[in-house]
Amino acid sequence: MTDPVSRALEFLRAHQNPDGGWGYRPGHRSFVEPTGFCLLASTIDKNSAVSAAGLAFLKACLKGSGAMGIDPSDSEGSWMGYAALLAFSALGAKVESRKLAQWALAIEDASGRFTFEEISSIAMTYRYDAAIPGWPWTAGTTAWVEPTALFLIALIRAGISPEHERLRSAVRLLVDRRVRSGGWNFGNPFSQSSELEASPMSTALALAGLGAAGYPRDSPAVQGGLRYLAGALAGDVSTITLAWAGLALKCYRFEGPVSFDPLTRLLESQADDGGFRKNMFETALSAILLADPAILIPAAGRSE
Amino acid sequence: MSPAALTRRAAIRTMAAAAASTLPFGLPACRPTNDRHDNKSSFSVALIRCPDYEARTLARALNDGWGLAVPPDIRGKRVVIKPNIADFSPDRPIHTDVRLVEALVLLLRNAGAAEVIIAEGPPHNRDTEWLFRQTGYEDMAGRLDVPLVDLNYDDVRPVRNANPKATALRNLYLPKTILTADVLISVPKLKTHRFAGVTLSMKNMFGVVPGLKYGWPKNILHWNGIALSICEISATVRTHYSVIDGIVGMEGHGPLLGTAKKSGVLIMGTNALAVDATAARVMGVNPARVEYLAMAQTVRLGSLQTRDIAVAGSRIKDAGTDFALPPGFSDLRLLRRS
Repeated sequence: MTDPVSRALEFLRAHQNPDGGWGYRPGHRSFVEPTGFCLLASTIDKNSAVSAAGLAFLKACLKGSGAMGIDPSDSEGSWMGYAALLAFSALGAKVESRKLAQWALAIEDASGRFTFEEISSIAMTYRYDAAIPGWPWTAGTTAWVEPTALFLIALIRAGISPEHERLRSAVRLLVDRRVRSGGWNFGNPFSQSSELEASPMSTALALAGLGAAGYPRDSPAVQGGLRYLAGALAGDVSTITLAWAGLALKCYRFEGPVSFDPLTRLLESQADDGGFRKNMFETALSAILLADPAILIPAAGRSE
Repeated sequence: MSPAALTRRAAIRTMAAAAASTLPFGLPACRPTNDRHDNKSSFSVALIRCPDYEARTLARALNDGWGLAVPPDIRGKRVVIKPNIADFSPDRPIHTDVRLVEALVLLLRNAGAAEVIIAEGPPHNRDTEWLFRQTGYEDMAGRLDVPLVDLNYDDVRPVRNANPKATALRNLYLPKTILTADVLISVPKLKTHRFAGVTLSMKNMFGVVPGLKYGWPKNILHWNGIALSICEISATVRTHYSVIDGIVGMEGHGPLLGTAKKSGVLIMGTNALAVDATAARVMGVNPARVEYLAMAQTVRLGSLQTRDIAVAGSRIKDAGTDFALPPGFSDLRLLRRS
């Protein structure tokens, strides 16, 4: 196997843990997020032995309530559930997918806990609407851009309609939290009399989430985000940002100059052992992007 | 980073006080030591002039401070340095200057440390690869062959919170790199903080809380109450030594949007609270008015009283310089430096 995707898959196979899962790095403990993405990548060559063991690990992390922790020992629900949902959906684990999707749709953020005065204060200080529900990193706390985008992508992949109230709200939150000059950061567009800077990774994730939900390309939020991302890609960006940016740009069919093409640059960062930065999550995401982005977001694979 | 933390400050103060009402919850540690930490002890803190980040200047200042504020025995030990890399800006001194950490690595190696590791879990930017590269840590770690660990993705295990009345963080997930450290050194930047007033050695420990469990930002710490979270983390994870980068700090809208403030000092010592209290005085801040420092003293994490702290090196009244305070924190101003 000499092509980049096959070499990446070989790297992932070589570092699957005995418990069936994957850690973020070779030889490290298994967690739900890297395991979910390695399982998604295993659908590229339909490796059933790899996926059976990985699915068993994820199923062991699923609680009776439908909650998904970071690993089997974690009794609390975690943001990592989005990655398990992607894997369950892609591998046809329908019962688990449905159960986890219902749990994810029921995760509460802090939007319902804020008083009117607090919402007004946040609107003045940070210039966003704290009453819009999204997804938090930990249940009951404030919703942020990245977990909202990740759950949006996963729930749509699981077959939940973008017209579902929770998903429409997620889209509203993403649009509302954008930095007005273009792009997104973690979720505070403004603070202390200053617009806060966007960041490439948050922008890529937000655009991918909006793309998954079919949010229009000609909207100011998407146009501003694409403009920001194209500019950011001309500079120093990380491997993981290249991967998410590649997904976002495919969702919106953005064609830039070759030097900005994230997938070309991603290929250049692949190590001789087939991995990307010796990181299972990043390697799996990169393999998916290079092979077939529709594994993650169907809209990223369709031609116009 | 939570807006709620700002608008609900008064309520959180009340809640935090209630949650800490069974104090003291004591002090301890990832590894037992022979150090005593109660309010009867005298804590030695070194306040060292260090006008710039030149390698020779830093080496001399660190050596002076290391000699004046008795350090832990690091010979043959696994030492973890925890800098503050809250974010990166080419225009603002947000992060601990990499040149200081480089000088500290060299000092620790010369002093006989068996292994030195640099570890950080940035609070709201998940893109650590980019942060480590932009701040110069990736390059420095490569040159010195020092492991550079992203604590947000380290292996973790839950540890019982030292506060028996803890609620949101009853079991605190912590990174293996921190839990297996023989000696943990906190190396923050001297900065103001829009929610906490100042951010120093104890607040820097927010960075040991892993994103893979708590996310980016680690918003649960704000909902739990910043002061209480700082005290709970500090009581559960022992910081053995602190070196505060006050050569160029940040004033005003810190910790991200403030402006550079040249102070030309390092503040060093074994007790994080005593070091932080001294650093606060250097900034013209009354530590007793900083909520988390006052709470830390109440829960016996050390002392912020001048009578309990022996400052060696420069005098605070000579080396101190008033930092512009964040909006809403004018009541922290120290009226007179002793």
